[in-house]
Amino acid sequence: MVFTQKLHEAFKGTVERITSARTVSAFKEKGVLSVSEFVIAGDNLVSKCPTWSWEAGESSKRKSYLPADKQYLITRNVPCLRRAISVEEEYEAAGGEVLLDNDDNDGWLATHGRPNETKRDDEDSLPSMDNLEISEGRTIRSISSYFGGKDEEDIPDMAEYDESENLIESDPATLQSAYLVAHEPEDDNILRTRTYDLSITYDKYYQTPRVWLTGYDESRMPLQPELVLEDVSQDHAHKTVTIEDHPHLPGKHASVHPCRHGAVMKKIIDVLMSRGVEPEVDKYLFLFLKFMASVIPTIEYDYTMDFDLGSSSR
Amino acid sequence: MASSSSSHQGEILKFAPLQSLVDAGFWRRFSSLKLDTLRIDQSPINITGFYAPCSNTEISNHLTLLSESLSPEPSEQSPEVEFRRGNRNRCPVPGILYNTNTLESFRALDKKNLLTMEAKKIFEDICSGKVEEDSAVLSRFLLISFADLKKWSFRYWFAFPALVLDPPATILDLKPASNMLNVEEAESLAAACNEWRNSSLTTGMPFFLVTISSSSHATIRPLKDWKVCQGNDQKLLFGFYDPCHRPKNPGWPLRNFFAFICLRWKLEKIRFLCYREKHGLADMESSLIGEALISLPQEWRDPQCIPKAVGWETNIEGKLSSRIISLAESMDPERLAVSAA
Repeated sequence: MVFTQKLHEAFKGTVERITSARTVSAFKEKGVLSVSEFVIAGDNLVSKCPTWSWEAGESSKRKSYLPADKQYLITRNVPCLRRAISVEEEYEAAGGEVLLDNDDNDGWLATHGRPNETKRDDEDSLPSMDNLEISEGRTIRSISSYFGGKDEEDIPDMAEYDESENLIESDPATLQSAYLVAHEPEDDNILRTRTYDLSITYDKYYQTPRVWLTGYDESRMPLQPELVLEDVSQDHAHKTVTIEDHPHLPGKHASVHPCRHGAVMKKIIDVLMSRGVEPEVDKYLFLFLKFMASVIPTIEYDYTMDFDLGSSSR
Repeated sequence: MASSSSSHQGEILKFAPLQSLVDAGFWRRFSSLKLDTLRIDQSPINITGFYAPCSNTEISNHLTLLSESLSPEPSEQSPEVEFRRGNRNRCPVPGILYNTNTLESFRALDKKNLLTMEAKKIFEDICSGKVEEDSAVLSRFLLISFADLKKWSFRYWFAFPALVLDPPATILDLKPASNMLNVEEAESLAAACNEWRNSSLTTGMPFFLVTISSSSHATIRPLKDWKVCQGNDQKLLFGFYDPCHRPKNPGWPLRNFFAFICLRWKLEKIRFLCYREKHGLADMESSLIGEALISLPQEWRDPQCIPKAVGWETNIEGKLSSRIISLAESMDPERLAVSAA
């Protein structure tokens, strides 16, 4: 892990320990959330999109400033049928550029486009970010045998041993299918259907929600975190997505680093307000998840936008 | 209900097998449990798997093991259990884990017998009436494993025991629920299902009874209300949370439900509802309604019988085989020390 990142994590951890959680609302001014606002927004997400639920997580990792049974949000088994990297190639080949904030498009970010907005943000100097350098390429440890695969030299070759010799399950009522997965691309033999568990934690330091990704391949084995980057928009893959310890779950997971979340959310809220829409804090996570869709465009999690949010420009 | 002749008519109904997914957190907690508490004890332990109705037309839902699938550590307090109840995305399935200390003993496990033992439990719970009280016991699973904590590798194999009907169930009809119901019935059924799923009291009951009155009003009841559901010209559907996404096949849990229905209620012609969701809400387009013919296998008339069962999970190539996961890089203290240096 990069030293500066480690240093920053230690610093962040200390600050989190000695400071109290935000209690005053500043979501319109700064795009951030207080703890109670996070819970309100989470309750609304769970009620509108029931594939999301609150979880308690491990009791040893429980944060005292959050309700014990509402430590983080999770949605499991979210399909990801294509790699973000291949979508971008197609998109660029088509010569398209997604417009932000035009009147015909009732959103400020197109779900499957790359937002210019976040790109511009990269150039702004934002408070507390100057000293955090996540350098490209090196943040992702080369983990050849993180999960499965390469570590099997010592294990006797199972091909020599027929495990199923006394197991013959000839049963006419069992659907026999080698691949019980979605339709797969026809042009090659590579299966691409991955699934993700997406969780949202409250980041006390940045005072914003934070998204974590746990991936599984088409045979439902855990994905090496570096492979998760294939499902991240290439604008973000090595910059804003890092592999870190999950605050509530065991092990290291890929996470969209929250350092710019407040600033981007502030911009989204400003756009809404300039259209005469008064943003409500309980809808924060829908806006946030729509913004996340620009980072992970092919992971098809639920965030309904059926209700009135930014359409009053009509 | 519109009944029309179907091209499937008379064919054997084929069920899509359940698939397992194990979160790495499960093996982590199991490892600490083994190092701290179980040590070399190879007694089977009770675990809990979780599943939910399919919520996507592209992929099925899985039987998932999480760190919470193992009983809470002694240091943890009882509220843990409360949090787990009433989570609509975690319908509990009782399971049993046989872990072995060596590869040899893993291979020596009598897989056929272990599966039969679990199937027998299901059979007994049907006969005793326990299923009516707690329908979750109608689905069970079995996990065998060899946890090599020297190499941090885990060899494992799931089985989802299904009682085999002989002769197998045949299809009379199977279509999307929206095609089998009129608009009022479909709306009423969707509303009733959403209410059932939203209530913390009923969301963990994966098998249920649906009645639709002549005025198109749908009502959902637990299995123990069977008597109330009969007669009065109302339509009766046997509903279950279907983890499968396939448009032409019901998922695995329906098999034991069929066994239950013919053993306990002696029915031979069954209308069933494969309940599925979209964005977490009842979806009558992807949910299926079907009609099947079943008959009680002769030997099941003897309560002492050993029911025939299938259900060992196949790998991605469709072969019966165990799987291996290595967590060395993320769990081995030595490697962690090296990578942190």
